[in-house]
Amino acid sequence: MNTFIFVALPYLVLALLFLVTIYRYLTNRLTWSAYSTELLERRLLYWGSNPWHYGIIPLLLFHLVPFLFPGLAAGFLGNQQTLLVLESLGLGLALLALLGILILTLRRVNTAMLKRSTYFSDWLILFLLLVQVGSGVYIAVALRWGSLWYLHAAVPYFWSIWSANPQPEYLADLPAVVKVHAACAFLILGVLPFTKLVHLLYLPIDFLKDQPILYRWRGRE
Amino acid sequence: MDVRAQIVMAFHLDKCIGCHTCSLACKNIWSDRRGTEYMWWNNVETRPGVGYPRGWEDQERYRGGGVAEGKNVNLKSMGKGRTLASLFFQPNLPRIEDYYEPFDYDYGNLAGAPEGDDQPVARALSQVSGQPIEHIQGSANWDDDLGGSRLYAASDPNLPDAAIVESYATMFMQYLPRICNHCLHPSCVASCPSRALYKRGEDGVVLVDQNTCRGWRFCISACPYKKVYFNWKSGKAEKCIFCYPRVETGQVNACAQSCVGRIRFVGVLLYDADGVAEALLQKDADLVEATRALILDPKDREVQKAAAKNGVSEQWIEAAIGSPVYALVKEFRLALPLHPEFRTMPMTYYIPSLSPVLSTMGDTYRLMEKGTISLPETLRVPVDYLARLLAGGNRGIVEEVMRKLYAVRVFMRGENLGQPADPAILQQAGLDREGALRLYRLFTIAGFNERNVIPPQQREGQTPELRKQEAGFGILQRVKSERNDLTRRGGKDD
Ligand code: SF4
Ligand code: SF4
Repeated sequence: MNTFIFVALPYLVLALLFLVTIYRYLTNRLTWSAYSTELLERRLLYWGSNPWHYGIIPLLLFHLVPFLFPGLAAGFLGNQQTLLVLESLGLGLALLALLGILILTLRRVNTAMLKRSTYFSDWLILFLLLVQVGSGVYIAVALRWGSLWYLHAAVPYFWSIWSANPQPEYLADLPAVVKVHAACAFLILGVLPFTKLVHLLYLPIDFLKDQPILYRWRGRE
Repeated sequence: MDVRAQIVMAFHLDKCIGCHTCSLACKNIWSDRRGTEYMWWNNVETRPGVGYPRGWEDQERYRGGGVAEGKNVNLKSMGKGRTLASLFFQPNLPRIEDYYEPFDYDYGNLAGAPEGDDQPVARALSQVSGQPIEHIQGSANWDDDLGGSRLYAASDPNLPDAAIVESYATMFMQYLPRICNHCLHPSCVASCPSRALYKRGEDGVVLVDQNTCRGWRFCISACPYKKVYFNWKSGKAEKCIFCYPRVETGQVNACAQSCVGRIRFVGVLLYDADGVAEALLQKDADLVEATRALILDPKDREVQKAAAKNGVSEQWIEAAIGSPVYALVKEFRLALPLHPEFRTMPMTYYIPSLSPVLSTMGDTYRLMEKGTISLPETLRVPVDYLARLLAGGNRGIVEEVMRKLYAVRVFMRGENLGQPADPAILQQAGLDREGALRLYRLFTIAGFNERNVIPPQQREGQTPELRKQEAGFGILQRVKSERNDLTRRGGKDD
């Protein structure tokens, strides 16, 4: 089981993520969209989408920083006070995201207008994200100082995956809920290129530097 | 001087009969797909009224268009920072109810209902949810012809006084067909964080690149005319494309081609792109003149040279010289832009309708006798109303147009009756005999090719390298515009 979750799954996921995303980008950009349903329903979306995104984006960064800058993260987490601040901040954001994704799920279930613009893939990612955030909140509450062992167990494990020398031992002895959290994360990454989640792979920032009016001339770039 | 060409449509509102043929022609060609049912790239609304989507002119609500701030024209909606922060929820987006929930009828039930005591009926079904709709709440022209309605007409923000529409003696009504204006300073383009919208350099048509659009929806509220729509099925923005596949080959737009009242004129304008930003900083009331000043005389040698330098072909310059739109907008100063104060510099123009005189018997008599309108106040359609709609509130501009339209009518009446009118009438309106005859011709008997002067674009000449080695055959790519990711439909397709 451990080998499957911590060795086979990550490589499968990475392969899917890179190959399918590139294939989809090259062959079918017409479906590359956030598939907003704000036009059809906006009251609940406001209370769902905002907390969700404002919760989950910083959380994702919190997961990414120790991976990229382990030294920096160790500095912050080594100090009792900053550790406490970071842990509470993380829990707060996770609760915000959980609230958001719950509202978004209920909104999909209850709004007749959305029936025909909701797809199997939408249900799938809603389910996976619910499990992911739910298990994350549980870990934050029940297994304290998660950020510390994330730094000392998960980060080296990720690096071992990245350097093609997988060492599942790092995570093998952790509680089941952590394994669920990890497996679910891999699943989300794996289905990402097949779903509307692709919208997060494209950051709309070109416009920050551009002139307001864009012209296109034939035969000129 | 940066001379560019723009293909422009002008409308003679006097002649619009409100038949909606244009809207249907457009819909049948471009927006009869799933997700576009509620879109009318061309719509015709009754004025005074609230229009489609409801209350689109209320920029305090939708925050479309631009505002002059210091030396810049900025988006009224939001700056770049707030745009990023609003990706997840766009605060100014219209709701589907502001347009209307599109519906169809369950015609199958008429033939397929089981035997019973009652006649089977075709219930209305929502084209979005597929559920039955008990009470249809609206459509793109729900207030058609309700020029005296308290519910619709009285809410028109351009009315100087809502009481006008409540009295039978003063109420009035006219039609306003609208397409995307393919503006010179389009706020839809400026608002797009993905840079999916662009203005074509060659002819000024504003388009959404469907491959680049990610469905962030800023363009939809940023367009003050509400002429970008969100396709709820494909998750992308769509808008009027000025029938570019037709126009490129020298054909007329579907709406103009099918126009029953023959109210539409299509032609080329040359303008100075360098002056656009500056012109938009003028006061509301000066915007019409500022726009006119940007439009250049295609007969001017200097203009022609500068245009050629920018790659405007000889055919296009020729078309600009023969352009009926140039005559109406610049030469005769008759056609006016719709809501110039929204500051996108719209490139469709409207000749306001010449309305009857509201009067006691004496006034009418004087009108017949003298042939001119003594007082613009006596016009049935209040000049203030038209000025707010078409001139940024500048009465003088509308009055000038009205004088000309009356003068042409009086002059032609005299000609037809063999009792030539007083030449002073034309003169006072700023016209001469030749001009009046030309206008008369354009408004009445001008044929298709006089009303529409569209130069072909010869795309093959512009990018030959794209067609190299194709030997006349391109590669046909199947367009997959529907979602096909891990999906199964949520509902049944009808
Ligand atoms: S009218 Fe057309 S070009 Fe102008 S802002 Fe709206 S969508 Fe853009
Ligand atoms: S087809 Fe012409 S006359 Fe009829 S509604 Fe449209 S613009 Fe008016």
